[in-house]
Amino acid sequence: MKQRYWNEVSVGDEIEAVEFPLTVYRLVMAAGANRDFNAIHHNAEVARASGAPDIYANTLLLQGMWERAVRQFIGLAGVIVRQSGFQMRIFNCPGDTVTVRGRVQKAWRESPNDVIGFIEIEVWSENAKGISVGPGRVRVTLPLRPPLTE
Amino acid sequence: MSDGQQWIAAWQPMVEAVGTQFDPGPHEFTADVIEASAVRRYLEPLEFDCALHADRGAAMTVGHPDIVVPTSAIPTFAMPPMWQPGGTLFDTAERNAQPAKTPISGVRTGLEPPTTGFFATNYDVDYLRPVYVGDRLLRRGARLVACLPKETKVGRGAFLTWESEIVNQRLEVVVRLQTTYFRYNPHSRSAT
Repeated sequence: MKQRYWNEVSVGDEIEAVEFPLTVYRLVMAAGANRDFNAIHHNAEVARASGAPDIYANTLLLQGMWERAVRQFIGLAGVIVRQSGFQMRIFNCPGDTVTVRGRVQKAWRESPNDVIGFIEIEVWSENAKGISVGPGRVRVTLPLRPPLTE
Repeated sequence: MSDGQQWIAAWQPMVEAVGTQFDPGPHEFTADVIEASAVRRYLEPLEFDCALHADRGAAMTVGHPDIVVPTSAIPTFAMPPMWQPGGTLFDTAERNAQPAKTPISGVRTGLEPPTTGFFATNYDVDYLRPVYVGDRLLRRGARLVACLPKETKVGRGAFLTWESEIVNQRLEVVVRLQTTYFRYNPHSRSAT
């Protein structure tokens, strides 16, 4: 995983899109892993009776998708400090693919002496029907690339 | 009062309770410390290939003392156990019966009207400190921040926003979060 430095990032930079094909198998694995056993996420009868078209991805899984996409952009030394505006807009069901995209919206440093800088990335998820989650914002810190010395 | 107004009026006690702290405690830490195997399993459905969450040595190269728990997994590792010795979760063989008790049913105050549907919609989270393998977490607080009655495509209910925090075994706050749930009764056509 590439390490990104604050002074290499510009407002408007796009993060690499990450695709998550959704299957019943994947949603059941996710429920077991993130412990959200609400039946709407693994039982189609219950999901349909609740008004949804089918079982759908839980919000922990969807937040994990955002984290993976952001982490792949920032690298190991980046630190995620805030997530805001995460809003589930439409259901993400098996048979569809969720694609997470993002774009750097802000970049700043709190002090010229700091060895880190902040960026805020606008992040959203799309499926076949449009934007399904967000757009929200993920704020991270990145290290500054040290100056080259001879 | 018309039916269109009655269902909204039923949420008024919750609207009036905005600002109230509904978590009187006492609080208990989760059943287990966070284990590397549980973190690894969390990564699997995400195909989340990141050494920070799987390799202690790699985590140490960027200043961490141990494997870092993904930020999105912190609420999972702050959940109470599904079952504890002496308890009974499954007391019927009815196909779609739900367990007698679940930690993911959200806060119930007694002020809200009866509803059958429930799902999370929004998260706003401040990650204040990293969480590591070996930590043990506790979630506390349930302050009602907002109650917005609304009819949506799936039914009539209300968006309820709650504020809470998660602390580690040193009682350091690691996360502050606002979570919104939609509690509702599905439209009758939804049941077909």
